[in-house]
Amino acid sequence: MWTPARRTAIVGIGATEFSKDSGRTPMQLATEACLAACGDAGLDPTLVDGMSLFSMERNYEIEVARNLGIPRLRFFSMVNHGGGGGCATVGMAAMAVHTGAADYVLAYRAFNERSWHRFGGGVQAHHQSPEANDVSFSWTSPFGLLTPAQWAGMFATRYMHQHGATSEDFGRIAVVDRRHAANNPAAFFHGRPITLEEHQASRIISDPLRLLDCCQESDGGVALLITSAERAEGLDREPAWIAAAAQGVAEDQWMMRSYYRDDITGIPEMGLVAEQLWKSSGLGPADMQAAMLYDHFTPLVLPQFEEFGFCAAGEAKDFIADGNIEVGGGLPINTNGGQLGEAYIHGMNGIAEGVRQVRGTSVNQVDGAVNVLVTSGSGVPTSGLVLSSEGG
Amino acid sequence: MSDVDAALDTALQPLVGGQGPVQVATESVGASAISAWCAVMSEANPLFVDEAVAASGPHGGIVAPPATLNMWTMPVRIEGDSVGRDTDQPQQAAYQLLDDAGFTGVVATNSDQAYEAHLRPGDIVSARTTLVGVSPQKQTALGIGHFVTTEVAYANQHGDPVGTLTFRIFKFRPGTGRQRGDEPVDDSPRPERPRPRWNQDQAWHWEGLRQHELRIQRFTGSGRLVHPPVVADPTTHDMAYDWVVASGRGSLYSWTAPEHPKVPAFDYPLVVGLVELEEGVRVVSNIVGVRPDQLEIGMPLEVCWLDSHDDVTLHQFRPVRPDRRTDTLVRGDVSVGDRLPPCPIDVTTELVMSGALATFDHQDVHHDSDAARAKGLPDIIMNILTSSGLAARWLGDWAGDQMVFRNLRIGLGASNHPGDTMTMTGSVTDVGEGGAVTVAFLGTNSLGNHIRGSAELVLPEGPQGAEGSA
Repeated sequence: MWTPARRTAIVGIGATEFSKDSGRTPMQLATEACLAACGDAGLDPTLVDGMSLFSMERNYEIEVARNLGIPRLRFFSMVNHGGGGGCATVGMAAMAVHTGAADYVLAYRAFNERSWHRFGGGVQAHHQSPEANDVSFSWTSPFGLLTPAQWAGMFATRYMHQHGATSEDFGRIAVVDRRHAANNPAAFFHGRPITLEEHQASRIISDPLRLLDCCQESDGGVALLITSAERAEGLDREPAWIAAAAQGVAEDQWMMRSYYRDDITGIPEMGLVAEQLWKSSGLGPADMQAAMLYDHFTPLVLPQFEEFGFCAAGEAKDFIADGNIEVGGGLPINTNGGQLGEAYIHGMNGIAEGVRQVRGTSVNQVDGAVNVLVTSGSGVPTSGLVLSSEGG
Repeated sequence: MSDVDAALDTALQPLVGGQGPVQVATESVGASAISAWCAVMSEANPLFVDEAVAASGPHGGIVAPPATLNMWTMPVRIEGDSVGRDTDQPQQAAYQLLDDAGFTGVVATNSDQAYEAHLRPGDIVSARTTLVGVSPQKQTALGIGHFVTTEVAYANQHGDPVGTLTFRIFKFRPGTGRQRGDEPVDDSPRPERPRPRWNQDQAWHWEGLRQHELRIQRFTGSGRLVHPPVVADPTTHDMAYDWVVASGRGSLYSWTAPEHPKVPAFDYPLVVGLVELEEGVRVVSNIVGVRPDQLEIGMPLEVCWLDSHDDVTLHQFRPVRPDRRTDTLVRGDVSVGDRLPPCPIDVTTELVMSGALATFDHQDVHHDSDAARAKGLPDIIMNILTSSGLAARWLGDWAGDQMVFRNLRIGLGASNHPGDTMTMTGSVTDVGEGGAVTVAFLGTNSLGNHIRGSAELVLPEGPQGAEGSA
């Protein structure tokens, strides 16, 4: 870990009382401690835009952010391996504020390890009191909303109602992905394109989502090697330069279930990523020759065009028409076939395809591809990249 | 066909085509009986009960709700434990033969009423019944039995025709239902829904549900309502909160209907809705009593309750009983494809029993649960005249006081038992000449379609020049 010398600082500290029985939930302890640290620094907590956690923290950043009313969370990380990660959270935070990934980063730990879960009890310990992350599913699971497709379905219905999109508009994403996959020997669906009619005939998974709106579960792995500009020069490959990288958690963020915002047809955490990517790369939508958009479910692809400024809110259904997102169109997407066509490797395969596009080695190569947008999970705390063939 | 069955058939078939003597009601159409009927059906049309309003209305006085057509001549219960049979009537003779052969169970399956004139208090109704058919032996879910179909022509004391009824019942042998023999009974306990988990930050919410209160977190400093609850006001960071009890009313903001994978703890079709409460917060819940194709974003909903675990109650939402229109729909207001607002009806023991009594139906299966069980039913069942009356009331609530029924056709399927909820849904299937509108409708309960029906309604003409003048 590289932490710049004397360029970052801890500016506030906060704590609850320490006891053997707090009488409060860990969520409340975390919230109190974070508020106290902000108070100590004299900082409005809603200006916090980074959170640095280490594993075994059960008060996830989105839970604390929801309580603090944080509108824009641009940096969040969790260092692995429990207690050893404590100082590392500060190191991560220091890197974040030094690089501009965030302005103010909270690092914290809060629990009831005596009154709830006897930490020293090891694996025999049995805790009766669910923590915030366990509780969050209680607002949906007892009603039968259990799977990612079902979570996505709730967004899809509202998007259709509000913007006049149809199941066929969702289907057009799947058709394009499968067309690209058909040409990709590495794709699971190599040689197996689909038609819009086949999409419309596919069975309902969670109305309005059909089978062909959903990516397949896949086995596989993707790895990426990142290094500095200096070291890159000594290697064999042309670098795919990271023109920008950004994270985003927006106000009232849930995992795939951000149903309580004023409007649920957008993906504001994607908007936060977009804003940072465009700002730090100095590029914009018109500078992208291709995009690898996270496509676990087609209805959540449409608002990505809107959040990244390729079209206005509600107009993605028009933007994707007439071949505009196929190779040869204005903004080809998911030229590997995406997760609907190539494989569902949690978007890492989309990053690899972005690299191939700027190298000029894709099986569905876009002529003159210089800059490529890549996005990660939609509907969840997310991130994005702009990759470029042009170095600094 | 066994010899016994053949003998029964031999006895039954000569009755078909037979017409009994005219049966004259022993009591006149009565204002108090009309009032009682309206009370049970929640029928609020003043033309049926309010003398002053009715006198200046389109019929010039109180009229009986058309759906009461066949109740005024219902057989009178006589001493003893069964409804008397007048075997001069061919259909009664057929019922007796079937009873004697062991087909003692009975359910009504179809009632097609067509109306020619209104009945008014003081009218004496007479009925002439023709037995038009006895089906061969059939196996249904209820049991082995025969469908018996009659046609009845009704007239008033002046001999003027007032309407006709085609009526079908199923007489079956108790204990011969499919579920008792041919199909294995699945008595394994149903898996529970995923169990909600909570801690002290949300326990008050779940305790509220147990008490049938939908509690919404309120931060006492700002008054802000938050759901699902948090520990700090996201704006002020104040941690002091209490709750308000939501009215339980809201509207549908979004929904999804999971179909795959099916989870044994749930009934399908399953609808998960995002409900915007009138207090301004949203909750995820189940939308019950309507199928996915009947949902509309923005439709009004109200809370109801489900005991999902020994110690957990969940909120559920269902359509709100639509308000009765105060004006009447006119020609031109209605187009093919228009949907009627869904309407839930709680099927209580009180409704089943009082409905049977208010429609003069003294069959024991409508008021005596032991007798119902002895006849192969799990509990008392709603009688067809109550089902018809409730459907008519719902149609009248939609169309308004001055709509006139031309006919009402009801086919019954899954029985309405106490404890269930029947939801009426329907849409306009035809708009004919002269303001005649055809509505096709369903009354759906937890077992399936209780009612599959249609009605022709005549709407009044609108104000002159209001339509088609542009």
